[in-house]
Parts: sequence; structure tokens; C-alpha cells
Amino acid sequence: MTAPATIADRIDIAGLELEVLRRGAGRPILLLHGFQNPDPGARFLELLARRARIIAPSHPGFGRSPRPDGFETVYDLVRLYLALLESLPDEKVTLMGFSFGGWLAAEIAVACAHRLDRLILVDALGVKFGDRESADILDVFNTHPKEVQRRFWHDVPRFAPDYDALSDEALVSLARNWEALCLYGWHPYMYNPQLKRWLGRIAVPSLVLWGASDGIVSPDYGRAYAALIPGARFALIDAAGHAPEIEQPEMFVDHVLGFLET
Amino acid sequence: MDAWWQCEIPYPYVPQPVLDAADSVRASLPNRHCDPRLAADLFEEVIDEFLLCDDLGLNVLAIEHHAGINSLIGSNPMLVGILARQTRKVRILSLGTLISLRKDPVRVAEEYATADVISRGRLEIGFVKSGGTEMASANANPIHNVERYWEAIDLITKALSHHDGPFSWQGKHFTHRHVNIWPRPWQQPHPRMWSATGDPETAAEVGRRGMVHVLVLRGPDGTRRAYAAHRKARAEAGLPKVTTDNFAYAALVYVGDTEEEGRRVGSKLLWFLNTSLKSAPQYSKFLPGAAPPRAAPQIYRTRPKADGGTLSLANAEKGVPSASQNAQRLISITPEEAMAQGILFAGNPDSVYRQIMEFYDKVGGFGHLSLVGRSGPMTHVESEKGIRLFAKEVLPRLREVKPVIAE
Repeated sequence: MTAPATIADRIDIAGLELEVLRRGAGRPILLLHGFQNPDPGARFLELLARRARIIAPSHPGFGRSPRPDGFETVYDLVRLYLALLESLPDEKVTLMGFSFGGWLAAEIAVACAHRLDRLILVDALGVKFGDRESADILDVFNTHPKEVQRRFWHDVPRFAPDYDALSDEALVSLARNWEALCLYGWHPYMYNPQLKRWLGRIAVPSLVLWGASDGIVSPDYGRAYAALIPGARFALIDAAGHAPEIEQPEMFVDHVLGFLET
Repeated sequence: MDAWWQCEIPYPYVPQPVLDAADSVRASLPNRHCDPRLAADLFEEVIDEFLLCDDLGLNVLAIEHHAGINSLIGSNPMLVGILARQTRKVRILSLGTLISLRKDPVRVAEEYATADVISRGRLEIGFVKSGGTEMASANANPIHNVERYWEAIDLITKALSHHDGPFSWQGKHFTHRHVNIWPRPWQQPHPRMWSATGDPETAAEVGRRGMVHVLVLRGPDGTRRAYAAHRKARAEAGLPKVTTDNFAYAALVYVGDTEEEGRRVGSKLLWFLNTSLKSAPQYSKFLPGAAPPRAAPQIYRTRPKADGGTLSLANAEKGVPSASQNAQRLISITPEEAMAQGILFAGNPDSVYRQIMEFYDKVGGFGHLSLVGRSGPMTHVESEKGIRLFAKEVLPRLREVKPVIAE
């Protein structure tokens, strides 16, 4: 592993010192990560940073962000990021959430429309559409890791992590992220049964992006999600799975900039 | 020394090609492979074996595991209830209801109090931390498993020993506003409590609480270290020294008429390790929270890092392998290795007695031996023969080993 292009910064919020990645200049985008904390070397960050100012914290328990005792629910995370929004000097911020972080972004957008100018959800979790015997979201903890990788990526050989090649530090981080994700998302599995009812309250222009090959949570789920957010646009990104920002960074950033600049 | 016979009631009838094709023989193997008529025969034979123990004065022990060929005892309280009524003399150890998987510890306390009353005070209550596939089977979050374990024990203990009307419990993991169980337990303030654990941190807490500390198939080094952590924690807390009666060890045990028979039939017990431990990576190495993240470089990689990983598992776990690593080690064990490591005690009566006492000396003594019996292809007839020989030829000698202060 090469050294990260930018050493991660810290941000103090609600008594917590979070690891945060800051990039670029211009309109602020608060980026809430999914299963993994942001990779400083990710190409989409570099592209996006040419046009926007990115603030990308690692959730408590992920990456190098500490998780204090008793901080263990999505409720805590939502309150934390509401506090972070309040603390930013910008009157309005664009909120972008990926996967698990998309769930957080949807909760925050319902609760705090006045600090947001736009909402972007990318392969977001957080709601339940299917009947009681149909799980919308793949159970990543009770499924064979190879199957999880196969359903996560469009191009598995190219993008699935090779644990033998990763540094000790990267593996420790993966294990921390896995543990934290399990803590926050175990029950009910990756959704809030009440959230669907409130998505209609989201009052900012919204874009819902989805990897066309996402096998963790399907594009149809994404369409249904978008349909509950007034005026939301939905767009598929071809040749991408659950993380289109990683597999198709150029196309992903084109979609985002197209949305932000209209 | 006391002895306790147990059988996990494994299900050895799934064809080997099915087991070979499955990534896990626990949690996810479809139950169409379990024939309820064969299961009924197994329960009948094994309950008869428990009753034979009762006739012979050998205590009995009931475990719990979920959804796999390794054990059909998914409901420990049900078997304990049967034993409470059907046995008449011996003590019954539940080891135990998997409490960190159960949503309501108060209900567990009710089950235990009921079994203690039915058996007129012959119940002992053991707690097991659980892990791996059990988390999937029980829909239990693997994170904070140990926190739930201790909180559930605290709540069960209070529910069993509080007799002054309803009390309220608003803990971190369990809330119950109106706890007042009937019947209360026969034994006061509550039946003796046991805890099974190998890791030094939990071992220390078991020591501080003065519970009977049981090590399962850990071999001499892990067992000695865990007992030592127990004693050290008591000393550091200023608590009195305990006797060997506070320590227990569970091994595969079989006694035959001859050394050859004991070893040959006893080797069948290794099915439990070689065949029934197979578990998919999502339930073992990748189970969140099963090992500290700093141990991930050793656990996640399929081969050692060529340029030298620096974080050492020895630092992370103080030299004690995780439960899943212990399981990996046991899957491929041979009878000779198992005997050399104190995981299998097998042979003629003299030989088995000698093997037990050699292990006793290696670990600093223990007051309870748990016999993991009847596994894999071992027959009912073989199992009963081994029980009889152990009870008649070995147990009287073990009874002569009196509790001593454990140093």
C-alpha cells in the first residue's frame, strides 16, 4: 500500500474527535460513507474535489474515529451529524450518503431540511419495502464472504479486496469497520421501520444514484426509495455494483455535477 | 473430584458428500437432512444413557447448541426439565441455556427455578458465552455478546434470589419492569453457578464472582492459563483463595475393558471435532467482534504476509487463541494428538485414571471432570459400556481426590 495522498484530519463534534477527510474548494458537500470509511486515494474524491469542498468524516468506530462507550445506534449517528451540520459555517450544505451512510443521510434530510441545499443518495439503505418474508438488503453478516463480494461488485476480480495484499493497518481498519457496521446495523437489519413514513418530508432537490449491478440492494429498491422523496431523480450507473463511486468514478461524478449544477 | 457425563446428541446421519459440499454443518445446513424419526431414536437412547448415569451415581450435564449436526439440543431447558424429573439421585448441570442469545433472562430464571424445584434441589446452573454460528441461528448481535452475558447472569441471579415482591431492571441490554418469579428455587440463595470460558478477561471475572470455572477441550496450556487468571483476579481483588472445587475440565472420555478397546471406541468421539465443527467463514473468522480488530492481520490473511506483518496475535490475545482458532485446530486433530493434548482420555480404566491425573497435575488441579461422551458413530451399546466402566472403575478413584487450595 502506498501512503495516503492526504493525511486524514480531525474534526471535533459533540465531544467526539472524528477522523475527517477534507478535499477541494467551493460548495460544501458532507459525505457520509458506507461499509468502509473513505479511501483517501479514491478517484471520485479527486474528481469531485475539483468542483466542491468535501468533508468526509469516518463514523465513530470506523477507520480511526473513536467510538465512545454507549454510542451504538443509528440514533446516535444521526444526532452526531445533525450537530456537525449545525457547526459548519456554511448556511447550506449538500449531503451525500453512500449505502449505510445513505440511510443516515435520509434520516438527516427528514430531520433538518433547513441546513441542506441538495441530497444525494447512492445505493442507500435504511427503508423496508418487501413483505415480511422478503429481505430487501443482503445479510452481509450471515452470507458467505465470497457471495457478499460477488454481489457487492460488478467487477469482482478488479475491485474485491485481496486480504493477503493489504497492509496490517488496512486490515485492522476493515475489521473495525465490520464490527461497527454490525453494531449499528444488526437489528432491525439495516433499516428503520419508521423512516419510510417520513421520506415525504424531504424538501430539497434530491438525486438517487444506483449501481445497475448492485446485488446488496437492488435498483428496484432504489427506484422505490426515490419515488418516496418528492421530486427526486433516479439514475442508474452501468457496470457498477453497490459502490458506483469506486467502480465508475467518472460517470458517478458526471451525474453528481450534472445534478448540482442544474 | 466429581464427574459429570454429557452427550451433545450430535446427528451423525447426514451423508458425507452432503457435509463435504456444505460450507457449514451448522446454522445453514437445511433441516431436511435431519430425519425426525432418527432424531427421536437418538433422544431416546441418550436420555436412557443419562438415566444409566443416575443409576450409577454419575452426575449429568446438559448443553445447548443450535441448528447443526453437532447437537440436537437447541432447547436446553427442555432436556433439563426431563432430567429433573426422570433422574432421582444425581446432580444435574445445565451448561447451559445460551443466555446471551435469549431476549428475556427472567424467563430463563423461571425455567431454572422450575427445574431446581422439580429435581428437589439437584440443579446446577452453568453459563456459556456462545458464539459463531449461534449468533446467526438466534438472530443475536455478535457485538456486545459478553456484555449481554454478564448482564443476563446478574439479572438471573437477582430473579432467583429476590423474594420480596416485584423488582425493576433497566439495564443496558435487558429491561424488565416487574420481576417476581414463581416458584422460587429450591436451593438458597440459588443453585451453584458455573461459567465456561477460556479467554483471560472472562476467566478473571469468573474468578472474582467465585463461579465454578470450566474449560472445554482447551488442552493443558490454555486451561492452566485460564485457571491462573481466575486465581490471580481473586488475589488482586483481595478475595479468599479457592479450592480445586472451583475448577472443571471437559474432555472426550471413553473407558474400555482393554487399552485397545478404550482407544478404538474412544477415537469415535473425535467425529465431534473432525466433522461437526465445520463452520463457514462468516460464522468464524469474519464474525464481527469475535476477535479484536488488531488481530485481523493474522485472521483475515490466507497466508503470512511476505514482507512481515508486524501486529502480533500474541500481543492481541495474550497468547490465547480465539475460540474460532481453537476450533480450526481441533478440526484436523488425530486421536494420538488428542490424547497427547488432554482432549481425549481413552483406554482401560487404569490408563484413563492415569491420563486424567496427569492432566490434573499439568493444570494445577480441578475438582470436576466433564465427560463428553457418545458422538459420531459410537453406538448406544458402546456408550453404555463406557459409562458403566467409568462409573465403576474410574469414578471411585477420582472421588478420593479431595479438594485442596488451588495455588
